[in-house]
Amino acid sequence: MLKLHNLTRVYQTEDVETSALNNVNIEIAQGEFVAIMGPSGCGKSTLLNTIGMLDSPTSGDYIFNGENVAGYPEKQLSVIRKHNIGFIFQNFNLIDELTVAENIEMALIYHKIPAAERKAKVEKVMDKVGIAHRAKHLPSQLSGGQQQRVAVARAVVGDQKMILADEPTGNLDSAHGQEVMEMLQALNDEGTTIVMVTHSPAHADYARRTINLFDGHVVAESVRVAEKTA
Amino acid sequence: MFRNYLITFWRNIIKNGIFSVINIFGLAIGLMSCILIMLFVRQESDFDTWLKDHTQLVRMHTAYTMPNQEPFETVRSAGSMMEAIRDYAKNEVETGVRLIQFGMTVRQNENVFPEEFTMVDGSFFKIFDLPFMHGTQESSFKKPMDLVITEELAYKYFGKSDVIGETLTVCCVAGNTTDLTITGVMKDLPDATHLNTDMVIYLQPALFSENDGMLNTWTSLNVYTYFKLSPGIIPQQLQDRITSWMNNESPLIKMFSNLLGDKSTGKKVTDLLSLYIMPVADLHLNAKSQAGNMGDLTPMGDSKMITTFIIVAGLVLLIACINFMNLSTAKASKRAREVAMRKVLGASRTQVAIQFLGEAIALVLLSLLFALVAVELALPLYNEVLGKELSLHLFDEPSLLFTLIGLAICVGIGAGIYPALYLSRFLPGKILKSSKSVESKSSAKFRSVLVVFQFATSIILVISTLVVYGQTIFSNNMAVGYESDNKLVLNIQSAGDNLASLKQELLNLPEVTSVVFSSEAPSQDNENNNYFNLLEPHANGNANEDTLVNYHNMGYGFFEAYQVKPLAGRLFNEDFGLDTIKQVAENEIGQSSVVLNHSALKKYGFSSAQEAIGKTLASDIRGMQHLTIIGVIPDIYFRSIKFGVRASVYTLNPERFRVANISFSTDNMPNLMRNIESVWNNNVPMQPINLQFLSEMMAAQYHDELTTAQLFLVFSLIAIVIACLGLYGLSAFTVERRTKEIGIRKVMGASIKDIVALLIWQFSKPVVLANLIAWPIAAYLMLTWLEGFPYRIGAIWLVPICLGVGLLSLMIAWSTVGSNAAKVARKNPIKALRYE
Repeated sequence: MLKLHNLTRVYQTEDVETSALNNVNIEIAQGEFVAIMGPSGCGKSTLLNTIGMLDSPTSGDYIFNGENVAGYPEKQLSVIRKHNIGFIFQNFNLIDELTVAENIEMALIYHKIPAAERKAKVEKVMDKVGIAHRAKHLPSQLSGGQQQRVAVARAVVGDQKMILADEPTGNLDSAHGQEVMEMLQALNDEGTTIVMVTHSPAHADYARRTINLFDGHVVAESVRVAEKTA
Repeated sequence: MFRNYLITFWRNIIKNGIFSVINIFGLAIGLMSCILIMLFVRQESDFDTWLKDHTQLVRMHTAYTMPNQEPFETVRSAGSMMEAIRDYAKNEVETGVRLIQFGMTVRQNENVFPEEFTMVDGSFFKIFDLPFMHGTQESSFKKPMDLVITEELAYKYFGKSDVIGETLTVCCVAGNTTDLTITGVMKDLPDATHLNTDMVIYLQPALFSENDGMLNTWTSLNVYTYFKLSPGIIPQQLQDRITSWMNNESPLIKMFSNLLGDKSTGKKVTDLLSLYIMPVADLHLNAKSQAGNMGDLTPMGDSKMITTFIIVAGLVLLIACINFMNLSTAKASKRAREVAMRKVLGASRTQVAIQFLGEAIALVLLSLLFALVAVELALPLYNEVLGKELSLHLFDEPSLLFTLIGLAICVGIGAGIYPALYLSRFLPGKILKSSKSVESKSSAKFRSVLVVFQFATSIILVISTLVVYGQTIFSNNMAVGYESDNKLVLNIQSAGDNLASLKQELLNLPEVTSVVFSSEAPSQDNENNNYFNLLEPHANGNANEDTLVNYHNMGYGFFEAYQVKPLAGRLFNEDFGLDTIKQVAENEIGQSSVVLNHSALKKYGFSSAQEAIGKTLASDIRGMQHLTIIGVIPDIYFRSIKFGVRASVYTLNPERFRVANISFSTDNMPNLMRNIESVWNNNVPMQPINLQFLSEMMAAQYHDELTTAQLFLVFSLIAIVIACLGLYGLSAFTVERRTKEIGIRKVMGASIKDIVALLIWQFSKPVVLANLIAWPIAAYLMLTWLEGFPYRIGAIWLVPICLGVGLLSLMIAWSTVGSNAAKVARKNPIKALRYE
């Protein structure tokens, strides 16, 4: 599905140059569940943002579905992104002024989908993640686990083929964290590619492959042999 | 998508509470100011555009530029001009008409009512196609003395609209009380017209046959002359024909040649006398600057005042828009996460920008609703200050409603474009993970620039207001050369032959100390020019050389009543017997007296006042007169000091007395007024009394300046309020953003005073800079404006005004910011740090 070839990302401020990623080479196939791990500041989020086309590399290639998107402008990237990639963040990033249903619907309003069809999709995905009974609530009225479920719903409502999750369980307790991981597992079983950044080895075990980063380099890759069970 | 934007917009308004109120309130009063000024400007600019074929209607004005005379311009013209020009310019002119305005009284039962009558040529309604309620133009205006009145007057006198055939008793037509039959009733004229023609009489030229100075004259300027241009003709074409007629065919060629003798060689008539054409729709705003002497049919507008207020309205609205821009960009970090997520979910930068631009437009439209309510509440007071009847009838005038909505949309785009572009540029990658502020140095700097601009504009407005007020007070209180306190002015034009008994009965009143007659009272300075030729040779010219001079007629005791003392010689005195001008036969020369003012000394070339005493001026007043100069007085200001003072002579011609100047001493004014009215009614029955305080008449000369100053004051205050609202909002936001820093400073040992001083200083810098920018601009503008006054406040006054306004602006800024700063400074630092 995607291939990073000699990818480098350097951040330049007035006096300081920081190399977040150094000649990273990664391939991820359609339907894979990949975890990215490493210590703080190793470049995990930068890698995820680059894969998610929220950030552009300084050099190297990023082939996505056969297209090298490395030098694409933001306008083009946003088009590819909205049709293919869903995001789940550690701090949920729900819009405080919108209800649960409105937050999920927001993922569809930029797709020129008619209102009736949008409504049907939203209701379907709310049922799927078990949040339909809170459709009219605001994020401030939900628990952390419920908010993350809304974020998951938002990430999949547009039938995106890939989900990027940046420490999706970081702000949740173990029970809710497990709920979220099981949702991601279920999505992966249905064929959605999942790329997840995590600090938790237990959660990384849900993934079939784990990539370890250190100081912007890929230092190790491991493949899980046995299936993860609850 | 639109529904999503609307929901987000509305819920953000509710969530942001105080900032939303500041934004909406600031925009609402900015829009309110704009709408109020727009209503005034609209009415002033639309005068007479309702007249049918108004583009083809013009009026002719006159300007004299005689050698050694002051230039003189007026909206009137000489009575003989109209027919001559109409006949000469047959291709350019369809028809012409003359108007003569008279104040007369209508008598009904025991009551008298003063009214303005307009005598016009029969072609009046061919030029002014005024709609009729009863009768038609053709049926109602067929012969001399036909009278057409408005519906309002029909109801006033008869309680009904159809009054054709009814009679009005009018005083006085050619000195006689006359019954006039009403032959037509026209619709009431709209407010937006320069015409004052509620009562129109078909002119009877025979009425003026004894007084050729009224109609059959080429030089006396007593009529208003209008032309209707032929189809397809533009005013310039008629102007060219008139100039051609003046210089090649008019009787003025010979008249000026006779007048000037050798001096006329090489000169054209139009070098000395010009006739100017002005479209009727331009008269209200532009006639004043071209021909402001002697006023017009109705109070004249001022195009400069209109321009000034349009600029003020624009500035006030701009200040409100800057508030919006500042608050929106300052609060950008609160919306940054939303912007980032929208982009993550597929929104393009354009879509995000359109969303925020739409929010700005929606906010302005919401503010417009509040503004319209505020306008309705403010209109009564606004109308009182302006002396107008402005109104906001949105549903009767859809074009006005659409204009206001259009204005709101433009304001929304103008105010919202920068925040929309600023907010839409946020990139999701930088925002979603990072906890840093999205504030950039350049955006903070730009906001400072906007605050400086806001305050500089407000400071310029306040300084200008204080200077205008100062000049008005100075003008009103400047020494005018005579004692104006405790004086009443009684119009005696309708008193006829009863002056002597009137005067005696007034003098019998215990409160009255003197009664003196004159042609004008101070502030009633009509331009009266006549030739007063110095018979003796003098420094400035030859003996008996024609010298046109302004003159007034004063009765015995006038100068004494006004406490004007002579510089040399004496004043008019009954004991001397020869002071009065008497009628003399054609081959005789009358002997009488004249008094000069100081400026007249210079005109005749006298080196001192004493030198003038005993010299003789020749003039044609009631026959040829030789007037001996008996005295010289200081220059006294009969008209507003903004016109300076003219060379003037004072004669004693009882025929020209129009007013009685009554000096009094009493605390019981109502009683005095009643007594004077009683004396008047005894002596001049069936004539309404026209009695005014001299002080009020003098103050009325500065009415325009005072109105300007008052409106400037109001809009300056509005500008300051809006700027302070913005400052309050910005300071609240800045303080909120610096909570962590404040917490750390307090942990390090800073006191509340230190914190407050730190925050106040941050906002003092732009205010200080605004003052430094505003002062030279305001000084330049005001010094330029003051140059238009011959007598004005000294430029040095600008120093304390600027310093005072500067200090005031700093205090306002400190009190605005200080309250927010103190609130946060008192907080427990741990709470501030935990917040992070």
